[in-house]
This record gives sequence, structure tokens and C-alpha cells, in this order.
Amino acid sequence: MIAIWYAVVSFTLIIYIVLDGRNFGAGMLQWFVAKTAEERRQVIAAIGPLWTWHEVWLLGFGGTLIAIFPRLMASAFAGYYLALFLILWCLILRGISIEVGGHINDRLWQGYWNFNFVLSNFLLAILFGAAAGNVARGVPIDAQGNFSMAFFTDFNVRGHVGLLDWYTVSIAILATVMLAAHGATYLTLKTEGPVHDRCQKYAKYLWTACVPLLLVILVESRIVRPDLPGRAMSNPFLWLGLAVIVVSIITLVSGLTSHRELRAFIGSDFLIAGLLATGAAAIFPIMLYSTLAPENSFTAYAVAVSPGTLRIATIWWPVGFALAVFYFVFISRRYAGKVSVQRDTQGFY
Amino acid sequence: MNSIFSDPGFWHRLQFGFTITYHYLFPQLTMGLAWFIVYWKWRALRTGDEKYNQAVRFWAKIFGLNFAVGVVTGIPMEFQFGTNWAGFSKYAGGVIGQTLAMEGMFAFFLESAFVGALIWGEKRLSPRAHFAAAIAVAVGSWISGYFILVTNSFMQHPVGYQIEPNGSLGIASMTAYLLNPWAFVQFAHNQFAAVVTGSFVVAAIGAFYALRGVHPVQAKLYLRAGTLVGLIASLLVAFPTGDQQAKIVGNHQPITLAAMEGKFEGGSMAGVALIGQPNVAAQRLDNPIEVPGALSFLAYGHFGSFVHGLNDFPKDQWPDNLELLYYSFHIMITLGTLFIGLMGFATFQNWRGRLESSRLLLWVLMLAFPYPYIATTLGWMTAELGRQPWLIYGLFHTRDGYSKVVSNGDAIFTLIGFTGLYFVIGLLFLGLTGREIGKGPNEPAVAAIIPEREGVLV
Repeated sequence: MIAIWYAVVSFTLIIYIVLDGRNFGAGMLQWFVAKTAEERRQVIAAIGPLWTWHEVWLLGFGGTLIAIFPRLMASAFAGYYLALFLILWCLILRGISIEVGGHINDRLWQGYWNFNFVLSNFLLAILFGAAAGNVARGVPIDAQGNFSMAFFTDFNVRGHVGLLDWYTVSIAILATVMLAAHGATYLTLKTEGPVHDRCQKYAKYLWTACVPLLLVILVESRIVRPDLPGRAMSNPFLWLGLAVIVVSIITLVSGLTSHRELRAFIGSDFLIAGLLATGAAAIFPIMLYSTLAPENSFTAYAVAVSPGTLRIATIWWPVGFALAVFYFVFISRRYAGKVSVQRDTQGFY
Repeated sequence: MNSIFSDPGFWHRLQFGFTITYHYLFPQLTMGLAWFIVYWKWRALRTGDEKYNQAVRFWAKIFGLNFAVGVVTGIPMEFQFGTNWAGFSKYAGGVIGQTLAMEGMFAFFLESAFVGALIWGEKRLSPRAHFAAAIAVAVGSWISGYFILVTNSFMQHPVGYQIEPNGSLGIASMTAYLLNPWAFVQFAHNQFAAVVTGSFVVAAIGAFYALRGVHPVQAKLYLRAGTLVGLIASLLVAFPTGDQQAKIVGNHQPITLAAMEGKFEGGSMAGVALIGQPNVAAQRLDNPIEVPGALSFLAYGHFGSFVHGLNDFPKDQWPDNLELLYYSFHIMITLGTLFIGLMGFATFQNWRGRLESSRLLLWVLMLAFPYPYIATTLGWMTAELGRQPWLIYGLFHTRDGYSKVVSNGDAIFTLIGFTGLYFVIGLLFLGLTGREIGKGPNEPAVAAIIPEREGVLV
């Protein structure tokens, strides 16, 4: 039961990263793939009407996390205090720059908000990457089950670690490059004209850059968490995740080389989902590893709510999720197709 | 060094109070406005009159701005349960987590999926589908409100819970938790208050256009709808919902009621103070003007009913900011009464056909729109200050709730950050809303460069 809920919570986070990751990527690339003011609006229009829908999945994740693993949520969020607020502020800045930029048709105004848009998306990709690195590496949980972290200490991965060290920084770099590649793949699908052509090139370069980065991370993870591989091998979800990764790499590569944009984008979605799922399966049942003493780690079993409360959540959660899938179909049909560079009237985006 | 400023609880409360108060300025308008948009869209469908579509288009833009700021300021709220209130989340997360998650799954997904269709969908959707999107957004925002009020009602009047072996709380009965009688009363009171805010804003913009002599058809539409709905909603906020709210506080939190009224000594024939300043040191109300027996009657149904005074309770159970609680409650009541008077008079003048010609009344209507925001904020301050010193009434103290690992330096840092960020957002919001109001409702249909439909998924 708790294993299933661990999978569900991971799943909601994966959906969020896959959905909003395309916005982070597209946002980061706005400067590089869009040269004129119109092209920059085109990039925003490609994500514009959907960003709130993508962002509320973060709330879906946060809410499910409090409902199922309240003790983890409380300790982790308090421990990541400053980092989490940076993420929240960047999310605010990103949302505001999307919404207000289009309201006034003025070069300076739009240029200013485009700058904020690119900056906040870059920071978000880096911060989420570093956060993933922190979950993989572990945090300094003490015997009382609390931790509080500085941004950085000695950049080492053991003992009193900080948010940033050589391992989490390298994961942040991977996340930034990979989400940029994801965004480029998305923009290739959603745009036409010069932006489309540039994104097509960027997608290829960025995905190629991911390969060595991934290999480095793999070796680093072996050093940082030597305890992981043994336990993880027996987890069927790990193998499922690996299978998803293999299939989606084939889909992505064939989509990129044959210019089948939808196929490439689906491959990109599932590749990121597969990587995150494999990571989530690899660390289970430990949700947050203690770098001070392994016995202080939070296991899913120790931080979950009681079986009775879990049963209640098991009744309503699938209903909510089924509704979300229904909305997803509606949205996908409604916003399907490409965004052109011309705007028909003075729309918001 | 033992002042209030070295108490981390003060900073965590201040930050949560500030961010939630600011956040709620936006949903209270969208929750009220959503039904105006539904109504006008329905009228447009029924009559085919273009003026209703114009109204929908204009108000959807205002709605969109409020919605966006509501979303970006709302996301930190959920996370602060963990970052700033880890003690509370550890203790009660098993209960309140359910409704926080349900709000996301059942309300936010619905709202955010359809809000784009409402704001930019007129050209691309059929009128019926556009109407359905308006309903989906309105319903979504009210469901969201209900789940949050269930969560808050649990803090006011905990029901349906059990204490788990590890000492934290879990759900004993989901039905009891979701159907908390406190939540019903509070939801009705709060939602009608949101409609009051919506109708004052609608009426204010109608009055603004009428005074300037622009958009006469639209101005008339807004004034009529705003004043009539404003009157009905203001009445419903006072009676039965406000009355019931006072009774439920009187029954379950008698200390809070005594504090709200600044009543130190208990007694029968307890009065309601129209004016007076609580003097906690001297334990009396200075310069009081009271209506005798009114409090006994309002809270318990008889003029002779006994009402407890603060001195009937130990001092450590008194709300810790008596003065602010007292003023919040009294100013809210005063404003609520004035709302009924203003909207009642405006509706009467409208019925006589004299609303658009009485410029003084239009001026008052135009300038009155901030007051419902103030009244709802004070209402929430009454509820939350009145709950002190408890975080969950009778179960869990506020001082046990905040995150012990977060230093004052971190808490003040984020409070400063929010203050700066929200100040900028406020300026942007006011500027852009002002622009939209200035442009007025006669713009052609908005069609953003959202993609054409080609039937491909994704």
C-alpha cells in the first residue's frame, strides 16, 4: 500500500516536471531561438494558455505529499526553507512575466519581461535539478528527524552537506541541458517559421550533450550512494523505468532524425519520465537519505499516515486523477496545432 | 532580548498572515465575479444580445488578471504549511493534507484547465462550450473555497479525527470531517461575502462609466446587476450566515466571543458595544455605547441569556491580541451594515429609474469598492485571531506549530522577499487593471495567437 502511494506521489511530481519542464526549456531558449519581438511572443504563445494548468500539478504533488507523507513534507520543506522559497519566487516571477508582458505592446516593456521570463526559467531548471540531486544524495537529517541546510558548505557530499556540492551541481547542469532539449523539442512541434528551424537544430545539439552528462552522473551516483544498486536491482519499477528509457530514446532519436516532431516530443516526455521514475525506484523505500547517519533516513513506511487514512485517500484520489485525465484530453484537443508568428488581433499572448 | 521580535512564532505568523491576506484579495473577486460572467453568458445565449457578450469579454479580462495573480500568490500558501508550519503539518498533516490535496485534484485542475477557454475561447469555442467553460471555472473556484474552509474549520472546531499511535492526527470519519457544521456556516458566510466584493466591483466600474458618460449600455448593465446582487448578498452575509457564524462561535468558542465583544465580566442581558476601546490592563471597555441585551440575544437567542466574560476563563486561554480582534470584528460588522444600506438605497433608486441620474450616489458607489475587501480581510482576522492561542482549537497550540529548524533570520528574509515581490505585483496588477478599465468593454473579441485546431493530440 505504501509502495503504491510512493509511486503515486512520485508520479504526480513526474507529471509536473514533464509538463512544466517544457515551459522551463522553452523559456530558457527564448533568447536563443527567437530573435525578433514577434518571434519571442510566439514562444510565449506556444506555452501561454497552458502554464497555469501545468503549474497546478505542482500543487497536486504538494497536496498529495502532505496527505500521504506529512512528516516527510514537514521536515523536508522546513529543511529546504530558503531553496524552496527561491523556487516559489521564481515561479511567481515566471508567471507574472508571461501574464503582464503581452498586456502592453511596447518594445521596452516586452523586452524587460522577456528578460525576467528567461532568467526565471533558467533558475527554475537549475533549482529543480539541484533539488533532485539533494534527494539522490541525501540531506543532513539528525537523530530527531530534522535538518536545516545552508546553500553550500564545503561542496562535499558527506556529513553536513549544503544544497550545492559537486554532485548536486552536476545534476543541476544535466537538468538544465535536458529541460532545454525538452523545450526545444516542444517548440519544434508547436511553432513554425524561423523559430521552428532553429529549435530543430537546438534539439539535436542539446540532446547529444545530454549523453556524456548522463554517463558522468551515473558514475558520480555510484560514488555518492554506493548503497543503492544492490537494493534497487530487485525493484521491478526500476526495470520498468529502464525499459521506458530505452524505448523512449529510440522514439526520440528516430523522431529527431526523421523530423517526426510529435514522435520526438513523445519520446522526450517519456525519456524524462523514465529517468525520474528510475531514480524514484532506485532510492525506494528511503525517501530522504541522511548523510549524517543512515539510520536517521526517512523511509516511506516511517513517514506515511496511518493505514485508515491511506484507505480514505485511496477512494478519492483516483476519482480526482480520472477527472484530471479528462481535462487533459480536452486541453490537448483544444490547443493542438502550431503557433504562427502573426497575431490575428491584440490577444494577450 | 526577550521581546516579541525574538519570538520565531511572531515572524512565522506575520508571514503567513501577510501572504494569505494578500492572496485572498484576488480569489474573493474571482469567486464572486465568476457568477456574473456565467449569468451574462447565459443571457447572451438566451437573447443573442451582443451587449451581454461584450460584458463577458470585458469581465473575463479582469477575471484573467485576478486569476493569474491568485495562482502565483496561492502556490506559496500550500508550501508554507511545510516550510513555516512543520510542527503543525507533522501533527495534523494526516487530516488537513486530505483537503489540501483534494483542493488541488478537484478544484485547481478544473479551474486551470478551463480558465484559458473562458478568457481566450470565445472565437474558437461554440457559445455553449464557452458558457460551459464559464460554469466550470465558477464551480471550480467555489469547490476550492469549500476545501480550504473545511481545512480552516478543522482548526476552528476539530471533528472526525483520531489520535494515532504515534501521537499525530488521522482521519476517523471522512464524512464528519468534510461535513463539519462549522464549515457549512463559514462557507456560506465567506462565499456570500465574495459575491459582495464582486458586486461592489461590478457596480463601481458601472458607476465610473456612468459618471464619465462612456459606454452607457454597459454602465447600466453593471449598475443594475451590481446593486441588486450586492443588496441580496449583503443581506445574506448578515443574516442568516453572519448570525449563524456568531452563534457557532458563541457555542464552541465562548472565550472568542467574549474577546470579540471586549467583554471582561460575564452576565445576562449582555450588550453589543457600538463604540468603545478595549482596555486590557484595566479590564474594561473605555467609552462604551452599548445596546443592552443584544449580545445575549444574537448569540443565544434570548435577551436574558448568560454570556461568559473573559474573566470566566484562565488568562492563558485568552486570544493573544484582544484589541486587534475586537476592532476587526466591530469594523467588519459596521461595514457590513453600511453595505446593506448603500446597496438597498441604490437598488431603490434604480427601481425608481433614478440611479444613473443621481451623481452623488454614483460617486459613492464608485469609491465604495475597496470596503468589501477590507471587510472580508477583517472577517478572516476575526476568525484567525479569535482562534488563538490555539492552532487547532483545544488540541494544538500555535506556539507548537511553527518550524523549529527555521531561524528568525531565514523567516525575516523570506518575509522581506514576499513584501518586495508582492508590492511589485500589486503595482503591476493595479496598473494593468486600470488600463483594461480605461480601454473599456467595447473592444472587439479577443483572439490570441493560440494554435488552430488540427486534431493532433498534445
